[in-house]
Amino acid sequence: MNLGSQPSVSEFQPLLRVSGLRKEYVQRSPFSRKKIAVNAFHDVSLTIFPGKTLAVVGESGAGKSSLARCIALLERPNSGTIELAGNNLLALSGQELFAMRREVQLIFQDPTSALNPRLTAGEIIAEPLLIQRKGTKSQRRARALQLMEQVGLDSAWERKRPLEFSGGQRQRLAIARALALGPQLLILDEALSNLDTANQTLILKLLAELQTAHALSFLHISHDLRLVSEFADEVAVMYEGTIVEWKSTRNLFASPEHSYTKELLASVRSVESILLERSA
Amino acid sequence: MLTQRQKLAWAVVALAAFSGVVLFAGFFAPYDFAAQDRNAPFAAPTGIHFVDARGSFHIRPFVYSSRDSDTGPVGAAADLDQTFTIRWCVRGALYKIAGVFTSRVHLFGVEQPARIFLMGSDGYGRDQFSRFLYGGQISLLAGLIAAVLSVSMGIVAGGIAGYYGGWIDEILMRGGELFLALPWLYLLFAVRAALPLHISQWQVFLLLISVMGLIGWARPARLIRGVVLSAKERNFVLAARGFGASDTYLLRRHVLPQTNAVLLTQVTLLVPEYVLAEVTLTFLGLGVGEPMPSWGALLTSLQQYSVLSSYWWMFLPALLLIPLFVAFYAAADALQELHKSVPL
Amino acid sequence: MRYLARRLVHSALLLFGVSIFSFAILQLAPGDFFTPISLNPQISAHTVAALRSQYGLDRPLPIRYEHWLHSVLRGDFGISFAYGTPVAPLLAVRARNTLLLTGTSLLLAWLLAIPFGIWSAARRRKWSDRAGGILTSSLLTVPDLVLFLALLLVAVRTGWFPTGGMTSAGSEDLGFGGKVKDLAIHLFLPALGLVLATLPPLVRHVRSAMIEVLEAPFVRAARAHGISERRVLLRYALPVAANPLITLFGYSVAAMLSASLLVEMVLSWPGVGPLLVDAILAKDVYVVVGAVLLSSVFLVAGSLIADASLFAADPRIRMD
Repeated sequence: MNLGSQPSVSEFQPLLRVSGLRKEYVQRSPFSRKKIAVNAFHDVSLTIFPGKTLAVVGESGAGKSSLARCIALLERPNSGTIELAGNNLLALSGQELFAMRREVQLIFQDPTSALNPRLTAGEIIAEPLLIQRKGTKSQRRARALQLMEQVGLDSAWERKRPLEFSGGQRQRLAIARALALGPQLLILDEALSNLDTANQTLILKLLAELQTAHALSFLHISHDLRLVSEFADEVAVMYEGTIVEWKSTRNLFASPEHSYTKELLASVRSVESILLERSA
Repeated sequence: MLTQRQKLAWAVVALAAFSGVVLFAGFFAPYDFAAQDRNAPFAAPTGIHFVDARGSFHIRPFVYSSRDSDTGPVGAAADLDQTFTIRWCVRGALYKIAGVFTSRVHLFGVEQPARIFLMGSDGYGRDQFSRFLYGGQISLLAGLIAAVLSVSMGIVAGGIAGYYGGWIDEILMRGGELFLALPWLYLLFAVRAALPLHISQWQVFLLLISVMGLIGWARPARLIRGVVLSAKERNFVLAARGFGASDTYLLRRHVLPQTNAVLLTQVTLLVPEYVLAEVTLTFLGLGVGEPMPSWGALLTSLQQYSVLSSYWWMFLPALLLIPLFVAFYAAADALQELHKSVPL
Repeated sequence: MRYLARRLVHSALLLFGVSIFSFAILQLAPGDFFTPISLNPQISAHTVAALRSQYGLDRPLPIRYEHWLHSVLRGDFGISFAYGTPVAPLLAVRARNTLLLTGTSLLLAWLLAIPFGIWSAARRRKWSDRAGGILTSSLLTVPDLVLFLALLLVAVRTGWFPTGGMTSAGSEDLGFGGKVKDLAIHLFLPALGLVLATLPPLVRHVRSAMIEVLEAPFVRAARAHGISERRVLLRYALPVAANPLITLFGYSVAAMLSASLLVEMVLSWPGVGPLLVDAILAKDVYVVVGAVLLSSVFLVAGSLIADASLFAADPRIRMD
């Protein structure tokens, strides 16, 4: 199926370049008339190259998720720029924005809430194609089945509803759906946090395979440093709404600079050492 | 105790059966609703017998015709000499089914001059049973149409208010509060007062229904708004937005289908309410007028002392309303319970 | 304090909306105040036109509304075509009777609903609660009209109660005690009807509000402290359940008013209801509009009382 032209970048140009991104939420206090500005994140700059994975780690909080949503064009930041393959995403509107949505997709933390329980698996996966008006009905269905196989789901389950799948399988469904339009960048917003360890490993393996097969880039947002470090090329540490450290994974583990990074590493190490001690 | 599903099934079956009978009122009713018999005003329900005055047993039930007695009202005594067997699938007065097909076949009947008044007759000698069945067509239809109207407006108002929020939400909800805060009967009366009194039956009917439906949009709207508010924040809606879906697509495909449960329950609750409203209005003389046999018209004569004290069968239509309402409420209850357990 | 102010403004807006609605009704009804006079062949069309102009009936709509609103606020509700007298005193008498009926019924209904509700909440899942639930549901499914007609039937067949009116003939000659008894016996059936009609949903709501509160952790803690069940129910649970119940009170006033119209018709209680119905049949628009306005005022007053009680009872609202 012809998905239309995709903006391409060479290997040496960044796929995604974010600079100076800032987002704040304005809330009206329930008791007074004052408006309070809550800062989600500020001064965030990131770069991801094609086929690479960048992990953003930090405490559980709204900062990381709203960053994910801004980059996925689900929310608008207050200031800064987001460039994808050289296109300034925030300046786009109408048809151009509609087309650009194919390039970046978000996988949510809770797969159950991200899937409409009334639709069948096949309909869910084919929905992006339907919305973007790609292909005929049978073509969409064929692609949906193909995607199901790719993520390790039996295509015979096409007519099953999300609730008939297990948690891990639902996340695979969500991934299949995200791949439907052939994006170049996948954002994983704590996508593994709700899964048990066995499933986490399986899904990580799947994502690695997909990355190699389709030259995907990942932006992996998580609070679990140990988990993401296995597959991330680079790690950015987020603390109090801004990026405090950004290094390759190896360098981060070898020579952390910021105090928060050291804390994170310390907790990871202590778990490992406890496990080592126990097994010894 | 029955499960909720069983309860719902029974209620639906009961309602469907009742609606079926009412729809084919012409077939089930032995007489036309306007057919008068001046010789039999306020006749008691006709007795159905199996054993005649001579003591012999008849397999097929029969009735007696009436003749004047020396004491008591006209036609009160039974003429025991002649038995009139109840016949099935008789030819009788012409009637229409759903306003299109005509037929002369009635389920049962008796030969002249006998009459079979299952529920007695009113002051004009009209068969109450037939009028009850025909009346169902009017009252039930009014209730159904008004309920659908209310819910439809509720979807539009609640959907817009919940989805777009902001000032349009404020206006709609404040307006809705206005409609909710006032007693509906007073509102209905006030509107009825503004309409000319002597307009054709059908116009009254349609106007009544429209007004009832329009007044009652507020409660469904509020419930639907609630569902829409929570539904639009769901991640699957957000995901679809991420694919570039338009607002109309989101509403149509993801948000509004979530309101199905609420809609169904609302309609089930509103229909009996509106049926009752129509009955009350007609009872008070402000609704569909003679000779249309709305259930309210059947009960009007009960306001007269003489009727209440002497003719007990005139109360029967009121009693028959109760099981109908029980079925509706049982269905609504079951629906509510069922939807509580189904994850949204 | 801001809460009360908001509620007052809200009620004022509500009444304003109702006034516009009523005014619209007045305009929509064919004919106006001078139509009956204009039908009199002895009065020339010229005179009628002059009268209309004198009373400002040919002025633009907003000015007419303003005039009308002014007179209403002064207590002048116009003139009844049917009775030929000003509407306000006519309404006042009827309103007093309706208030007597609905007030009594409201009081009785709540006085019954609260203990029943608490009692069945406390005995939840026991057979007595189930039985009570079935009784309530059965009563709920009987349509109001059928209920009232049944009461009328009882009055007619047994002769124990009068079948209508507020007083018996010759009651003016009775002493005070006699008058009260006479009134009570006339009031009994309509009040009973209203109470029976509105009680089931009230009991249900009280019960579910209490159940919700009884499952709260602080109640469990109180029980664990050894506080008696009765004290827990009345001093711990009930005050918290009061919030939704007071809100319910506002709605119960509306329901009661609607039902009162019907019961007044069926049982011939001389309240606003029969006046309204007759007025509609006689196209007596000023009476109709007056009645609608009056009932709205009752309603708004009822819910304002509820709001004020809420303010007094629930400290969370005062925190605003």
